Amino acid sequence: MKKKLTVLFLMLMMLAGFSTLSFAQENATITVWCWDPNFNIYAMEKAADIYKDINPNVTVDVQEVAWEDIQTRLSTSLSANQTKDLPDIVLMQDNALIKNVSSFPDAFYDLSDSGINFDKFADFKVELTTVDGRNYGVPFDNGAAINAMRVDVLEEAGYTIDDFTDITWKEFIEKGSKVREKTGKPLLSAIAGESDLLMVMLQSTGNWLFDSNGEPYITENEALKEVIRVYQELLKKKILVEVNDWDQYISSFQSGTVAGTMNGAWIIGSIVPVEEQAGDWRITNIPRFGSIEGATNYSSQGGSSWMVMASSKNPELAADFLNQTFAGSKELYETILPSSGALATYLPAGDSEVYNEPHPYFGGQKIYSDITDFASRVPRVKYGIYNYEARDAVSTAITQIMQGQNIMDALNEAQSTVEFQMW
Amino acid sequence: MIHTTIEKIKSYKNGFSINTKHKLIGWFFVIPGALLIFSFYFYPIIRAFILSLQGGVGNNLRFAGLFNYKRLLQDGLFKQSMFNVFIYLILQVPIMLSLALILAGILNDRTLKFRSFFRTAIFVPCATSLVSYAIIFRSMFALDGFINTILMNLNILAEPINWLGGPWTARLLIVIGLTWRWTGYNMIFYLAGLQNIDPAIYEAAKIDGASAFDRLTKITIPILKPIILLTTIMSTNGTLQIFDETQNLTSGGPANATLSVSQYIYRLSFEYVPRFGYAAAIAFVVFIIVAVLSFMQLKVGDER
Repeated sequence: MKKKLTVLFLMLMMLAGFSTLSFAQENATITVWCWDPNFNIYAMEKAADIYKDINPNVTVDVQEVAWEDIQTRLSTSLSANQTKDLPDIVLMQDNALIKNVSSFPDAFYDLSDSGINFDKFADFKVELTTVDGRNYGVPFDNGAAINAMRVDVLEEAGYTIDDFTDITWKEFIEKGSKVREKTGKPLLSAIAGESDLLMVMLQSTGNWLFDSNGEPYITENEALKEVIRVYQELLKKKILVEVNDWDQYISSFQSGTVAGTMNGAWIIGSIVPVEEQAGDWRITNIPRFGSIEGATNYSSQGGSSWMVMASSKNPELAADFLNQTFAGSKELYETILPSSGALATYLPAGDSEVYNEPHPYFGGQKIYSDITDFASRVPRVKYGIYNYEARDAVSTAITQIMQGQNIMDALNEAQSTVEFQMW
Repeated sequence: MIHTTIEKIKSYKNGFSINTKHKLIGWFFVIPGALLIFSFYFYPIIRAFILSLQGGVGNNLRFAGLFNYKRLLQDGLFKQSMFNVFIYLILQVPIMLSLALILAGILNDRTLKFRSFFRTAIFVPCATSLVSYAIIFRSMFALDGFINTILMNLNILAEPINWLGGPWTARLLIVIGLTWRWTGYNMIFYLAGLQNIDPAIYEAAKIDGASAFDRLTKITIPILKPIILLTTIMSTNGTLQIFDETQNLTSGGPANATLSVSQYIYRLSFEYVPRFGYAAAIAFVVFIIVAVLSFMQLKVGDER
């Protein structure tokens, strides 16, 4: 009996101990989930340093979680209503943001009235983080599309980077064929069965796979058909080569077999490590579709934004943290840019001196201010809730078209697949 | 703790007959395991079934009856993934099991040198991680990868094969990968079974003039039958639920030609707009198919 009482007593002590522990925490902790130590995590840690001066009671706990895991954990925790283990802030891929907000209403904290000034961010990013007129994310990572090219290869064919600036796809194909002829090198590579490059091209026309009512817009989408036609022509003329996976894609331009690449600005992180090619690279905007009205030389690919969870113990504090750092501190962006190349969509940072520094790897080109300029011109599109479904369906259709299927049949199938998924 | 309870049960001696007492003790030993199985196995199955009757997206679930089951009859991707999985099943399971049986037969020969080395070597693939072997296979079968280079240097091929690019070569690649990974695993079962066969039986058969083929079909296979049945059911089950290989080797491509059912369930839950009810309904259909196939195999294999 005595033993039992002692055990009971000990257990009570432990319980009491735990509860005092949690009461004693006047100092709040903000937990953050994000990926990539050199980029997002680094930026978050620097932001935490800055916020320490403003509000010393707050500690920021940055945890590295891969994007796929963030999505899996969010989906399982939110659908089981077990929000206890979720962090206060998550980094969200832009193309999954609307899907998550509409699948789990009330799970994310509405930042519209949090004091954050969204006018200071690139237009297209704000559009991607807005659902039903409410702001759910603080834009961060810049996904503005760039066309990065090897000027030493272009020179052999008698071209400079200016010959590839502000051009149409028709001109790109003409000049690309000549480069291919003279040097044997293609200008682009893409992963077979994935639609990243096609989506960059499509967004530059201001169109997307959904119309303004959110209905799938595939069979009737003339811009998409033109994009596919150009893509096929690029492949046929061997200006574009397809590879099988991401590693092969990266090595295709790192090894010098391909003389350029077109992707989100973050691809610079994979270009710069090759020291032998220092000084040979330049960046410019992407070609536009001359035949499509309203088409531009600008687009975006990838990119992510910070979101506050509604289940957070003090969402106001988390929102304030973001407001004072990612949405209000030029200093933060000046710190993270030189060491990580972390380009943001915070427009005031574009005026900063650091952004106007010439980059030696790109032959002294002021790439950061150029990219910030590109970002401000990217057409606004709504990715829509069923973005992943539509992209998968279109990727499938494109693989089928490349295998010789009729374009209309393949697109019809894609359209009905997406319609089924939305049903 | 256990002792005191047994003592307690013993002290009720007068109240129960000896039979009841034995039964009680039996139940006492069974209950912990039964509870664990019920709470971690049967309870989730029941909950999954209830979930499969709910329709809607994300957290907005509502009761929908059999709607999800009707929906999947019209789902092109579901049919495609079912087709792919059955292709794997029909091609891969017979190839793998006959290969395993042959290898087990060879390695059971007592006169063979380095027997244990070969056994280990064939079993080792089974100890590798599913993801890492899938990634290594992908790079080996790349357009400029190891396999194409070898085949071209041996003048077997004139042009490299784009293994991952064509629907049938990609499926073949999955089958090759699965066979490499799991043959050794099944071989171990057969080896264990072969150890139980008295060599005297073979000797007697040899004296009676039975050929090697006769010995295989008339002695080895009948005696190994229960084990063959076990491995068939396990492989069928495993193949129908294949995920890692298709996800990492081909990520379902090209054009969904290698998409597996589990992968589709994963996409529905975590990549696409989450439809947990619908995903649970598909999982349940797979469960039923596995159960039916296993039952059929048991019926065919069991002659008692």
